[in-house]
Amino acid sequence: MLKILGRKTSSNVQKVLWVADEIGLKYERTDIGGPFGGNDKPDYLKLNPNGKVPTIIEDDGWVMWESNAITRYLAARHAPGTLYPNDLRQRASAERWMDWQSNTVSPQMVMVFRGLVRTPPEKRDPKTIAAGRDGLSKLMAIMDRHLADNAYMAGPQFTVGDIPLGIAAWRWYAMPIEREDYPNLKRWSDALAKRKPYQTHIMQPLE
Amino acid sequence: MLKIIGRKTSSNVQKVLWACAEMGVKFERQDAGMQFGVTNTPEYIAMNPNKLVPTIIDDGFVLWESNSIVRYLAQKHGMGTLCPTDLKVRASAERWMDWQLSTMGSAFSPMFHGLVRTPPDKRDPQAIEKSRANAETKFEIMDSYLGKTKFLGGDLFSFGDIPLGIYAYRWYAFEGIKRKDLKNLKRWYDDLCKRPGFKEHVMIGLG
Repeated sequence: MLKILGRKTSSNVQKVLWVADEIGLKYERTDIGGPFGGNDKPDYLKLNPNGKVPTIIEDDGWVMWESNAITRYLAARHAPGTLYPNDLRQRASAERWMDWQSNTVSPQMVMVFRGLVRTPPEKRDPKTIAAGRDGLSKLMAIMDRHLADNAYMAGPQFTVGDIPLGIAAWRWYAMPIEREDYPNLKRWSDALAKRKPYQTHIMQPLE
Repeated sequence: MLKIIGRKTSSNVQKVLWACAEMGVKFERQDAGMQFGVTNTPEYIAMNPNKLVPTIIDDGFVLWESNSIVRYLAQKHGMGTLCPTDLKVRASAERWMDWQLSTMGSAFSPMFHGLVRTPPDKRDPQAIEKSRANAETKFEIMDSYLGKTKFLGGDLFSFGDIPLGIYAYRWYAFEGIKRKDLKNLKRWYDDLCKRPGFKEHVMIGLG
């Protein structure tokens, strides 16, 4: 059975849990990272030299890390034509929004999320949190404009392109912050909220 | 003909130029970004709301995010070569592309901007050294991996080598910085230096 190593409160682990449930894949998950530790142990570093989660191990012993690449791999293997579009343009569009989550949304999200969720109130830096929130809001505005013409990030259907940003959207709406009104983003987020795997793995209290 | 918009000194533009050269894909390139401007015009923002380069237009299809562009072009023109057909090999290659986005880019960037795009009297030596040391730990991860495989995606050159190949060129091109002797990394880099597309589009100095 597929092994997923990583605590379920990690947004990067959540990507893999979500895609696995969309596919209907069975897996066993081991808590690693954050309060559970273990990610800096030699045995784990042999699997994943970054010391981060998630890492997956398939039945034949094949080890893989980097959450977006894992998500695409599982979708390409088990759900071509649905989660992983066959049309190259639609696939590229989905992948583009995954890359954009990694290099553009994540740095802004970290400033707000770490500050508000993983830092005790007396140690928070309000300036960093405010700057992160403003930056994040501009990115949510980019998504909102894109979603005015598209039901999902890569077009009319739900794909892997919705997964990383769907987790970011949950956090955007769940964090105690000021939020501009982004109606298309909200409509998309509400559509995701109807999906069982999203309810199970993403719509959880922030830790 | 494929149109690539972006200045040729951008590492992200270079990924696309190099990939095209590997596959013999003809293109026309338009300068944009930094001293060339263009990226702040409404016409450009309508194509790419991030105001960054590159953007491609392929027979009416507009795409941004450099790694996704490389994967798109490779699936269209380089199946079995730049884009491995085996899903695990392909995932492994894609993993290193994602790792450049999530990990190497942010480690490397302060050093590059400090040494290349900041006048000597305005440089912050501490920030540059911190970035250098951080980037070096990332190159050590690559070195260790390249002790087991010839290229980042496995036995053959693939798109997995493209983003990090550009970072390796820059790492070895900096003058007067400390560099650990990483033999596997150097062997891999020396291999890349033999490729005409790498010579033409990547080994062009730091600017």
